[in-house]
Amino acid sequence: MCLALQVNDKNLAHRESSGPGRWFGEDGTRTARLMIYILLAIVLMFMDQFGHYVPRIRSAMELAFEPVFHVVGWPAEALQALDQRTRERSDLIAENQQLLQQLLKVSGSVQTQVALQKENQRLRDLLGATRGRAYLFQFAEMIRVDLDPFSHKVWIDMGADKGVVIGQAVIDGLGIVGQVEDVHRHYSTVRLISDPDHALPVQINRTGLRTVAFGTGETSHLLMPNVPLQADVSPGDVIATSGLGDRFPPGFPVGEVERVERDSGETFAKVYIRPFAALDRGREVLLIDPQYVTNPLPVEQP
Amino acid sequence: MKLNRKSRRLIFLTVASAILLSLVPLPEILIPFKPYWVALVVIYWSLETQDTISLGLAFLTGVVLDILSGSLMGLHALSLVVMVFLVQHFRSRLRFFPPWQQALSVFVLLVNDRIILIWITALLGEPLPTWKYWLPPLVGMILWPWLFLLLDRIRAMSRQHKP
Repeated sequence: MCLALQVNDKNLAHRESSGPGRWFGEDGTRTARLMIYILLAIVLMFMDQFGHYVPRIRSAMELAFEPVFHVVGWPAEALQALDQRTRERSDLIAENQQLLQQLLKVSGSVQTQVALQKENQRLRDLLGATRGRAYLFQFAEMIRVDLDPFSHKVWIDMGADKGVVIGQAVIDGLGIVGQVEDVHRHYSTVRLISDPDHALPVQINRTGLRTVAFGTGETSHLLMPNVPLQADVSPGDVIATSGLGDRFPPGFPVGEVERVERDSGETFAKVYIRPFAALDRGREVLLIDPQYVTNPLPVEQP
Repeated sequence: MKLNRKSRRLIFLTVASAILLSLVPLPEILIPFKPYWVALVVIYWSLETQDTISLGLAFLTGVVLDILSGSLMGLHALSLVVMVFLVQHFRSRLRFFPPWQQALSVFVLLVNDRIILIWITALLGEPLPTWKYWLPPLVGMILWPWLFLLLDRIRAMSRQHKP
């Protein structure tokens, strides 16, 4: 309420005040209506942030607006298509070569991984421990729409028709991106790990310390606010998911420690992480199948 | 003042295209410069026609924009309602300003709007944005005279063609 008055006062001051008389008569009812709408907007915002009904209504409305997202994506897609058509042949050859080299490098490391996986399995069998897990991935692409910079949400082009379910973990080539928040027919929304309301159970790879990483609202870093002061953490440590909470599978890289703030007056140290995933610029993502296979997939012999 | 169906349709079309325009993805470099298209179009219509953009319509437009852009429900609704109210309040004066002065007033309106938005995001505990946050009002001010001419031209053209 006082917001509106403040706003008006400010602008009144801007162009010589028009006197209190303006507040009565026709303008008076307009002010009353303004108040009602502002109140309505505030209630809406409050309910969207803390309630359950508005988010549900919103998700239904998003479904109705689905075609809009396709229309809006066209110019970017057309531009990209044009770019691909007109690309120089030499550029293409260079890119192809680079990709081939990359493929070779990756398949090299996969070969060692196959051996490691087998060894791991043997050791697990010896210990009688649970069997290792292998994952199934689905490839998805972010829909080309500019969303509000304050909402840490992206759209992906797969929905209920491709078997996406709420809570599925989303990664890109480098690390964890977020989790599926809402599923529509042909697309879903993904909540990024940088959202201030997002908590991610993690583990420091080097020491095995388990803690929780929170989003900060900035895509460039996450925060682990409750690491014990005397814990062994140092910049450069790799942070991975711990798998606790059963939402994110264990062992996926999240980021590396950027800096550690140890204030002796506080109970905990603040540890800032730089996420590996391209949260603000990635385009392609992978969805991890929720029913991760308990038996390792039969690995093809290299 | 009652408007005929045609100009209603024109208002609907321009506001809808402003909403689409704000969703179209831009190259990374241009993103901080993206003006608040919907506000600019809404300001134009509430300046040029008396009370056709009522507070209720502004609210509705804002809600649609909120749903489509994924922002907090009611955020843009609040911002557009306040904007339209202010334009209506000072309409008699704003209308007869020379273009540069009008552009300056639009700048003040947009900055005011950004202040409201920053206030809400601060309440929600989001981090405060960087200086780039204040670029869109500037871009809006620079674009205003051209947008004004463009919309005037569109309106004149639609008047010439008889239904």
